[in-house]
Amino acid sequence: MKSHWIVAAALSAGIALPASAQDKVKLINVVELSGAGATAGTNFKNGIDLAVAEINAKGGLLGKQIEIIHYDTQTNPGNTRAAVQRAIDEGTYAVLGPVFSGPIGASMQIAQRAEIAQIVGGEAAGLTKQGNPYLFRTSLSQAAAMPKIANYLKNTVKANSVAVVWVNNDFGKGGRDAIIPELEKAGIKVAADVSTEQGQADFSADAIKIKNANADAVFVYLNEEESARFLRAAKQQGVNKPMVGETTLLGAKVIELAGDAANGAKGHVGLSIDAPIPAFQEFGKKFQTKYNYASDHNGMKGYMGVYMIKWATEKQKKFDKKGLADTLRGATIKPSEEPGILMETTIEPNGDLDRVSFIAEVIDGKQVINATLPKIKP
Amino acid sequence: MTAPASRAAVQAAPARSPALGGFADGTLIALAIGAVILWFAPSGMGRYGTYVLSLWLVMAIAVMGLNLTLGYAGLKSLAQAAFMGIGAYITALLTTKTGISWYAAFAISGIVTFAVGLLLGFPALRVKAHYLAFVTLAFSTLVWLVMRNEQWLTGGVFGLSNIPRPSLFGFKLDGALAFHRFVVVVTFLLAVLLWWMIRSPWGRAFTALRENPIRAASLGIDTRTYTLLAFAIGSAYAGFAGALYAPLVEFIDPSPFSLSQSFFLLLMVVAGGAGYLLGPFIGALLGVVLPEWLRFAGSLYLIIFAAIVMLLLIACPQGMSGLIERGWAWITGRNKAGGSR
Repeated sequence: MKSHWIVAAALSAGIALPASAQDKVKLINVVELSGAGATAGTNFKNGIDLAVAEINAKGGLLGKQIEIIHYDTQTNPGNTRAAVQRAIDEGTYAVLGPVFSGPIGASMQIAQRAEIAQIVGGEAAGLTKQGNPYLFRTSLSQAAAMPKIANYLKNTVKANSVAVVWVNNDFGKGGRDAIIPELEKAGIKVAADVSTEQGQADFSADAIKIKNANADAVFVYLNEEESARFLRAAKQQGVNKPMVGETTLLGAKVIELAGDAANGAKGHVGLSIDAPIPAFQEFGKKFQTKYNYASDHNGMKGYMGVYMIKWATEKQKKFDKKGLADTLRGATIKPSEEPGILMETTIEPNGDLDRVSFIAEVIDGKQVINATLPKIKP
Repeated sequence: MTAPASRAAVQAAPARSPALGGFADGTLIALAIGAVILWFAPSGMGRYGTYVLSLWLVMAIAVMGLNLTLGYAGLKSLAQAAFMGIGAYITALLTTKTGISWYAAFAISGIVTFAVGLLLGFPALRVKAHYLAFVTLAFSTLVWLVMRNEQWLTGGVFGLSNIPRPSLFGFKLDGALAFHRFVVVVTFLLAVLLWWMIRSPWGRAFTALRENPIRAASLGIDTRTYTLLAFAIGSAYAGFAGALYAPLVEFIDPSPFSLSQSFFLLLMVVAGGAGYLLGPFIGALLGVVLPEWLRFAGSLYLIIFAAIVMLLLIACPQGMSGLIERGWAWITGRNKAGGSR
C-alpha cells in the first residue's frame, strides 16, 4: 500500500512550478472558463487576448513581450483561490479576473496580502467596500449604475410602479439589492419582486407573474442568455410594458438570441460596442474579426483591463507590482494618453471606476444610443 | 479488455474482506508515512502547492465519510456536499459571528451533521438504492436553497468572508504552511479513527450489511442501527471536512456545496476505490490535484481529466485502489482472487 504514496508524491511533485522566461512579462488571468460563469469569463478572456496581441505586435510592454496565461476557476471559490495563489506564486505582474463576484470575494485577500493589483470584472457593490487597496474594477459598480437607472425610470419612462425580475446569483442579487432602495427613494412602487434561477430555461411563469403585477415598467436584471429567454417569454405572454435593463439586457448576445423580442428593450449601458464612440466601434470590429462573434461588455472589460496595466506600467517606467497598484489608484486615464482605454476612466481610491455611460434602446435588432450620461464627478 | 476487468470486479468483492486483515497494519503504516511526507512536502512548493495539498486532504476527509456510507455500508448518498456545507457554515458562522473557538465549532459541526445524518438516515431504513439517492438528492437541494436564500444567516449568494483560521497552544495558524500541517494532523487523526472503526466489530458489521443484509440480520446484526450509524458517521466526516474547508478558503458561498459537488465526491469514492480505506485519498487526489496538474494543457484540461476518469473506470471498475491491489497481487504472485472461486 506504500505505492499509494509513491503515486501521491509523484503527482504532488507535478505541482512544482515551471521556470519563467526572462525576456517576457507574465500576466495571468484567473477566470471562469467552465461552470456557471463560462460565457462571461470567455468574453473577458478573449478581450484580454485581443489587447495582449495588439500590445505585443507593437513591441510589447516597455520592450518586453507579454506572456498571457489563463487559469480556469470552474466558477468555484476554492478553485479560484488556488488559481490566484498559483498566479502569484508563478510571479504574475498583476492578476486579471475573475468576473463573478463570489470567486472574487474568495481570492481578493490573497492578491492583497501579496500586494499585487487584481483587476476584476465584478460589478457587485460590496467588493470595493472592504477596504482592499489592490482591487480594481473594469466596469461601473452596481452602486454607481442603479441611481442612474432609477432616475431614468422616473424621468424618462415616467413609471410609477416597476416590476423587478432578477437572477438569484451574486450579480443579480447585488443588482436587486441596489435598485430597490433607489426606486423607493425615487418614489417608485415595486409592484413585483421576481427571483429567477441561473441557467433557467423557461420564463413563462415569471412572465405571467410580471404581467399580473401590471406595473408601468419592468426592470430586467439577468445574465445574457437568461435575459434573451425572458424577453421571448414576455413577448409570448403579451407583456407590453417597457423592458428596462442595465448593460446585460441590451447586450449584443441578448439581441442575437432574443431576435424580435429584444426590440423596444431599453436602459443603461456601461460598456457597449454600439456606443457612439469610434474607439468602441473599432474595438467591436476587431473583436468580431478575430473571434467571429460580437463582444459583450465582458470582452470590453478584459480589453480595457490590460490597457489599464499598460498605461500604469509606462507611467511608472518599470515593472513594480506594488507600484502598479499605487499608480492606478486615483488615476484618470485618458484615451489621448492610452488609446486602448477606449474612454476616459477615473479610478477611485477604493477601486471603483467613474466613466460616462449611456442610455440606449433596441430598435430593429440594433442597439441605438439615445443619451450619454456624464461622469458622477466630472 | 473489459471481460477480465468485470470478472475481477465480481471476484474482488469477496476477496477483499479476508485481504483487509492482512492489509490493515500496512494501511496504518501507509497513513503514518503519508502524514510524515505531507508534513514536509510543501517545502519548496510555494503557497499554491501547499494550498492544493491542504484542499486535497480536506476533500479526502469528506470522501472518507462517503466511503464509509457507500463503500462499506453500501448506501448511495447524494448529500455529502450538503453535509460538508452544513459543517462549513456552522464553523464559519460560529467563528466569525460569535467568536467561539474553532475547536468547539469543529466539534459542533461534527455533532450537528451526525444528528442530521441520523434524522435523514431514518428514511434510509425504508428505502434503498436509487430511492435513497432521491431522498438525499432532495435533501441536498433543500440545504443548498437554505444556504442561498436565507441571506440574513448565511450571507446568501455573497457568502461569508474573512473566516479566521484556528490557533494551537497560542501559535497562530494563519500561514499556509502552518495551516497545512494542522490539516495534515487532523486528517491523520480522522483517518486513524476510521481505520480503527473499520477493524472493530462495527466495521465488520458495516461490511456484512453491504455484502448481504439478510445474512447479516440472520447472524444477529441489528441492521437498522448499523445502517443509521454508518450514514451518520459518514455525514459527520463531511461536517468535519466542512469545518476545515471554511478556514482553509477563508470564504464560503453555496456553490461548493451544490448537488454537482455531491456527484463529484461520489466520483472520488468510486475512482479511488469504494470500500478501500486509502481509496478516498487516491480519489480526492484524482478529483482535486489531477485537474490542477493538468492545467498545462490549457483549455483542454477538463476534457483530458474527464477522459482519464472514464478510461480508469472502464479499465478498472474497482477504482485506483482495486487496480493497485490487482497489480500488487500480480507482482507478489498471491492472486487469491483467481483461486478463491
